[in-house]
Amino acid sequence: MSVVSDQTVDLREPTNWRRTKNRIATVVMWVAFVATLVPLILVLYTVVSKGVSAISWQFLSGSPIPPNIMPLGIGGMGPAVVGTLIITGFAALISIPLGVLGAVYINEYGGKGWLAKFIAFMADVMTGVPSIVMGLFIFTIWVLHFGYSGLAGSFALACLMLPIVIRSTYEMLLLVPNHLREASYALGATKSRVTLTVVLPAAVGGIVSGALLAVARAAGETAPLVLVILTVEATNTNLFSGANTALSTQIFVNAQSPYVGAEARAWGAALTLIVISFLLMIIARVVTARFTKYTR
Amino acid sequence: MSAVTKAGPATPAGSARPLSKSRPLGDRAFALLALVAGLLVLVILVLIVVSTAQQSTSWFSTAGWSGIFSTVWNPATNQFGAMAFLYGTVIVSLIAIIISVPVSVSIALLLTEVVPRRWAQPIVYVVDLLAVVPSVVWGLWGIIIFVPWVAPIYASIASGVHGIPVLDSLFGSPTAGASFFTAGLILAVMITPIITSLSREVIATVPQTDKEGAYALGATRWEMIRGAVWPHSQGGVVGAILVGLGRAMGETIAVALVAGSSAEVTSHLFAPGYPIAGVIVNQFPEASGEFRAALIGLGLLLFVITILVNLTARGFVERSARRMRGTS
Amino acid sequence: MQLRGSKQAAVAGGAVAAAIALAACSSSTTSSTSAPAGGATTSAPAATTSSAAALSGTLNASGSTFQTNFQQAAISAFKTVQPGMTVNYGGGGSGAGRSALYANTVQFAGSDSPIPAADKSKVPAGKTVLYFPVQIGPISVAYNLSGVTGLKLDATTIAKIFSGKITTWNDPAIKALNSGANLPSTPITLAVRSDSSGTTQNFSKYLQAAAASAWTLGSASTIDWPKTAHAANGGSGLAQAVKATPGSIGYVDFSTATASGLSSASIKNSAGSFVAPSPAGATAAASHVTPAADLTFSTVDEPGADSYPITYQSWDLVYAEQPNANTAAMLKAYIGYLLGDGQKLLTQLDLAPLPASIDSAAVAQLDKITSAS
Repeated sequence: MSVVSDQTVDLREPTNWRRTKNRIATVVMWVAFVATLVPLILVLYTVVSKGVSAISWQFLSGSPIPPNIMPLGIGGMGPAVVGTLIITGFAALISIPLGVLGAVYINEYGGKGWLAKFIAFMADVMTGVPSIVMGLFIFTIWVLHFGYSGLAGSFALACLMLPIVIRSTYEMLLLVPNHLREASYALGATKSRVTLTVVLPAAVGGIVSGALLAVARAAGETAPLVLVILTVEATNTNLFSGANTALSTQIFVNAQSPYVGAEARAWGAALTLIVISFLLMIIARVVTARFTKYTR
Repeated sequence: MSAVTKAGPATPAGSARPLSKSRPLGDRAFALLALVAGLLVLVILVLIVVSTAQQSTSWFSTAGWSGIFSTVWNPATNQFGAMAFLYGTVIVSLIAIIISVPVSVSIALLLTEVVPRRWAQPIVYVVDLLAVVPSVVWGLWGIIIFVPWVAPIYASIASGVHGIPVLDSLFGSPTAGASFFTAGLILAVMITPIITSLSREVIATVPQTDKEGAYALGATRWEMIRGAVWPHSQGGVVGAILVGLGRAMGETIAVALVAGSSAEVTSHLFAPGYPIAGVIVNQFPEASGEFRAALIGLGLLLFVITILVNLTARGFVERSARRMRGTS
Repeated sequence: MQLRGSKQAAVAGGAVAAAIALAACSSSTTSSTSAPAGGATTSAPAATTSSAAALSGTLNASGSTFQTNFQQAAISAFKTVQPGMTVNYGGGGSGAGRSALYANTVQFAGSDSPIPAADKSKVPAGKTVLYFPVQIGPISVAYNLSGVTGLKLDATTIAKIFSGKITTWNDPAIKALNSGANLPSTPITLAVRSDSSGTTQNFSKYLQAAAASAWTLGSASTIDWPKTAHAANGGSGLAQAVKATPGSIGYVDFSTATASGLSSASIKNSAGSFVAPSPAGATAAASHVTPAADLTFSTVDEPGADSYPITYQSWDLVYAEQPNANTAAMLKAYIGYLLGDGQKLLTQLDLAPLPASIDSAAVAQLDKITSAS
């Protein structure tokens, strides 16, 4: 297989033109990297500078969310913060165990069978399902029968998180060396025992960090929530009945409002959301670094 | 196997006894639970198709094939043609891909070939930060800061290309800050992390011997990339690009805020547009009856398109991975 | 002022939290659902009295986005009047609100126009719809043209602009009305609504009434605008579009236009004077109105030297026959508030209060809300 392009092989120092081409290519690659930094820095700078002036304990816990026309300082985003926490929390509660179990099936029980491979493939495909479609799905099978609620939002987020958790758990389980499993079988353990007491604990670092990243992504999801929770102004701690709100939907609604107060609240909520996502990401990295026994 | 003779994991009670013929109930229950969890993925995917199809039948039956793909969308007269939105989704995603691919692939090459291992991690973190910013925050920044800033720039470009044949129909008037191009640009930023990370994985599987062979023959780094890396990884990189395309098509909130919300089929990239995801999230809360059925039908169309794109993408990645395993 | 507001909000927040906790513990589900099974619209437990005493329960409403600011402000202020009640106003547009009312998923609906004749059959049998007017407001013709302030327009010119017949700012028709202004040759970009809207309905109604033959696109909640128009989602989307595009012109409610910092044109009314949009102009227009027996009326193109011609109004639609006494009492209390102390909130929202005669007729109509039990 030829490994050099169609130029004649020149074993001396590269000519000026070849060296220049190389340099241009390197410069282009660096420029590309810097180009991606520009929007990142702009967004983070804007969110931090505009959001910081809105953040206060009153903002994070105050309730209800005031009318758009009210300036900053009246009311707060308390309902949205509570909503995000309970909806995302419950979604994590549903999807993480199911995702881990699904990955366990694919890796431990499915073996070489076609079903396991098919499920793994479909889980990958499911990561690409648009979030708005998940929202429509939950709307048609749940909201039409049981009404708007935070629970519907949790279901939608759980459907989005499930394939991500399956994928990352599956990768981690693959890395657990086989000799651990074989040793346990040799000692007479049942398959479930092996999985629960040996394999999962060995992979727990990676599983946790994968789950945290899925949660971070779910916390920022907006589209499905817009369809199924019906953004309201008052705190609703009852996840199972009654419309609810979340930081992401609130930002979406406020972004379209012309009032200064609404815009300021949107920036504050955006900063809150970014801080939550960053924290989760950092914790995930720390967990990966400290607790993962087996890496690639 | 030393692991067996050392003090290994906690010995289960009665360990020397062989397992009884039929597995214990707990073990079987766990296996069943795992199976159910795995099947859940398939069940959900099937349910998505079934439920959305069921809810949108009234649209499909009333509009028929010609109605569905017409360009007329007027809820007041019950005309729901999807063409303008399909067009919007495709154009915005294409713009996103055209802008993002050179950048993403360049960064992937940077990380694998140019940068010493030590510096690779920080750069990866920075690129991943782009993915951590939620979509709605990109949309917020887009509509409040970026759109007003870029509107006059589009206007001056439009007046600049006025009269020039192809450029005028692409970049000429009418222009608006919230447009196909703005949405495509912001989407490009959002899909860069995924394309970069997938491309990196693919490029990293190129056999080291090939790369060293190229260097040994006197190739510059760029020539090595063109000659050794690219032929091996092009399939996988195409797969990565398609995954990014699927992501761009499904992206909702950012485009709902910055694409312009105008259901028109026009070649002018600086004019407002309306991708499928945008119209659904904007108008669904207000819709009822056949309007709602039409929006759900649009969602189903979007689902089918993104699934097809993702399947193709996975196909490319699988094929390239198989070839990798063969050669290494 | 701000301290009082936040103290109010704190009290309100605490009361709401308590009310929500109470509601959450009670086993009956409120109809904040949209169950198509035409579910029960009852809410509160039977223990509460239903008179001027403290009420408790939830009212759900949706509809006109023109009313959203007023409803949000009123709901906030109403918490101090009836801390035990929760009112949710969902927006979504007049059409969506009316549909929700027919489906019995809301207790009242906000609508910028009366129920169209085609929909009369959708009202459940045995139910009478009561119209309670709640606010009046001007529709701005907002524009973005640097160097030009105080633009003057009349109905015919507006009709031609929005039909795409006048395409540049220095068109002779516009010049004729604005002799002193320096009008550039910039092309006019139209900003219109892509979603179904009461603002669109009333704006087109004005053009149909005042511009006669110059306006051929009819009057409805969505219009088949010229292909070159930029459609945007929601009034604030339209305002954002106008703000970001030099040379653009659009129609949006005055409150949104002002909040977005847009200039509004002065419109020639039927008396011949050019009036800028303002709550005072809307009130002047409304003062010439004689409502029908069911309290429907139109404030578009009213006579009077001070009347702003593109004024519109919004109603809250309620069924006269309510399923239980508590819901009836809550409706009377809340809508009574909107018609009473709530009217004082309107001017700070850039809206106009109802003329006294219409307001008292509406208050009298509250007695028509009855309940079976």
